[in-house]
Amino acid sequence: MLFIPVYLIFIPVFTALIIYVFKSKYVNYLALVAQFAMTVLLIMYYNAYGDQPDATLFVFGDWDARVGISLYNDRLSLSFMFLTIFTWWMVLIYTFNFRETNEKNDNFLFFLMFLQGVFLGFLQSNDLFNLFVFLELTTILVTILIAFKKTGDAYRAGIYYELINVSGVLFFLIGIIILYNSFGTINVLAIQQLLEGLPDYVALRMAYIFLMIGASVKAALFPLYTWLPKAHGVAQSGISALLSGLVVKGGLYLFIRINDMFSPANYSYSDFFFVVGGITAGVGVMFALSQKDMKQILAYHTVSQVGIMMMGLSSLPTNDLFYGGLYHVFNHALFKSLLFLGAGVIIQAYRTKKVSDIRGVMKTMPVVSVLMIVGMLSITGAPLFNGFISKTIIKYGIYDQEWKYWILFFVNIGTATSFIKMSQIFFGPKPMTILLSETPQRVSMIIIAFSCVILGTFYIPISTGFFGVDLSYVSPFGLLPLYDYIATLTIGFAFYKLVIEKDVKPVRMIREFKVSFETANYLMVIYVVALVTYFIIL
Amino acid sequence: MDPILTFVVILIGFYGLSTSTNIIKSVFCVTIIESGVILLFLNLGNLDGGSIPIVGEGITMIADPLPQALMITTIVIGSTVTALALMLCIKVFHHYGTVEWAEILRREEGK
Repeated sequence: MLFIPVYLIFIPVFTALIIYVFKSKYVNYLALVAQFAMTVLLIMYYNAYGDQPDATLFVFGDWDARVGISLYNDRLSLSFMFLTIFTWWMVLIYTFNFRETNEKNDNFLFFLMFLQGVFLGFLQSNDLFNLFVFLELTTILVTILIAFKKTGDAYRAGIYYELINVSGVLFFLIGIIILYNSFGTINVLAIQQLLEGLPDYVALRMAYIFLMIGASVKAALFPLYTWLPKAHGVAQSGISALLSGLVVKGGLYLFIRINDMFSPANYSYSDFFFVVGGITAGVGVMFALSQKDMKQILAYHTVSQVGIMMMGLSSLPTNDLFYGGLYHVFNHALFKSLLFLGAGVIIQAYRTKKVSDIRGVMKTMPVVSVLMIVGMLSITGAPLFNGFISKTIIKYGIYDQEWKYWILFFVNIGTATSFIKMSQIFFGPKPMTILLSETPQRVSMIIIAFSCVILGTFYIPISTGFFGVDLSYVSPFGLLPLYDYIATLTIGFAFYKLVIEKDVKPVRMIREFKVSFETANYLMVIYVVALVTYFIIL
Repeated sequence: MDPILTFVVILIGFYGLSTSTNIIKSVFCVTIIESGVILLFLNLGNLDGGSIPIVGEGITMIADPLPQALMITTIVIGSTVTALALMLCIKVFHHYGTVEWAEILRREEGK
């Protein structure tokens, strides 16, 4: 039983190697078998250790836990692992016979399965250096997957992603060095115990700042988000779903883990990261409103939703606000992957990414349009869908501070406007030539859409089971949330008709605003200075 | 070598990243930062007069083996990252005919 975490890392990696070596159509089905085996193993593991995280510490080769490589699972990492395996199932089913490149034997499954093993390792690892190794491996594999379309902009987005993330993760490594030099160990649990009762050293604050920069780059927070729209916009749709749904959450997971590790030191990080999250949400929505490319819109919405999650996660883990953010991580993984997968099918059929050129989807692909509408209702926070629950918890959490409430309100209106703009693709006349896709894509989309609705309706048992919090005070039934939602939609519709549809000059200016690579790095340095100013000087 | 000097190396790398307009130069700047970080860690694990961490006769003072084990992993990862980045550079050059960030952006808009 204790070996299951190791199996979960190595089953996908070895499957990937076998697929790579044999390169046959039938060997590809091994990926599905492996995925099934991992699901069974994870459920067994959850049944055995779900409520006793202290027993899950696993040290390789019977070393002392302070120097050896160790794996550790608690509720948080277990729920992330369920999400990982679920997302991979969906992406596997979706991309199994459906790639946007025309090559046979393209090694796609090799990289996909390898990335799953690496990501599961990242979630479970208990020492900081292993976290660093898994982060770097994720960066490398994701770069390859982004560049997989073999077009010029895919290569450019790939190298942009790789360089920014690698330099961010190197900051993480400097943080590890400072911690090792102070404590003589890099084990997360050991450092947490050693921090207990220590005075407030500047070196430890420096280490915290450097670790946070790694997490912020990975999570695409405000000044560092520039790689995300490029990368997620040009990758294949299945990969975009994976990146937006899950891999970005790796940064947020890191954020929670580091804050958990430094919890004995009691740093007051809440306000800073709330502001950063709020700015991220606002900026993301602002850029999303101005875009014309369907996948760019979705990618910028990932930025803004990460901001909303950050607004929740920045509070202390004892607050309900924190669990609002955490629940939003899971909800966003579902609805954003649903939207990206649907966008992939539509783009494939119409052979264009421009929202203004796609019309009449309701007539040509009724099932896909219904599923897309479920995704849109979820992301805009309609009652009975999962986005509503988490946004309501966040709203309750910040109810007493007005400025925080207004940030969330404007982001919601922006989101509504942007998806009203996108929903124009459903109307209009039926085009002449379209290329219809096959059934498996719809299967995975239908499963995700169902889980969106289930998470939106049966949220009370789910949240008690996974996070151990009681959410029974959130009620999607009743008229008040409905009025709230309709009011948001009305304002959004008016805003769309008056400003966005006319494509006024400020909107065009925002669309043409580009951040070059040098400026992105300059912004990273500024972010470092801001963190140092907030945590050390103030 | 003083730890301060390694920080200077890291800062030179960041200066290069935020000023150079060429993809290949950016790749090398990331490599420079990486070298700086590796030097920093090796410095901190080092011991004046200590020998390499292999047990033998007459050896009393050894350097801390853990930083060396960790840094060799970092070097391996770093070389992979550099190789992948340079490969992408070649591909970008084939598609755009240039490796200048700004020039690529201009050509993309022109298309």
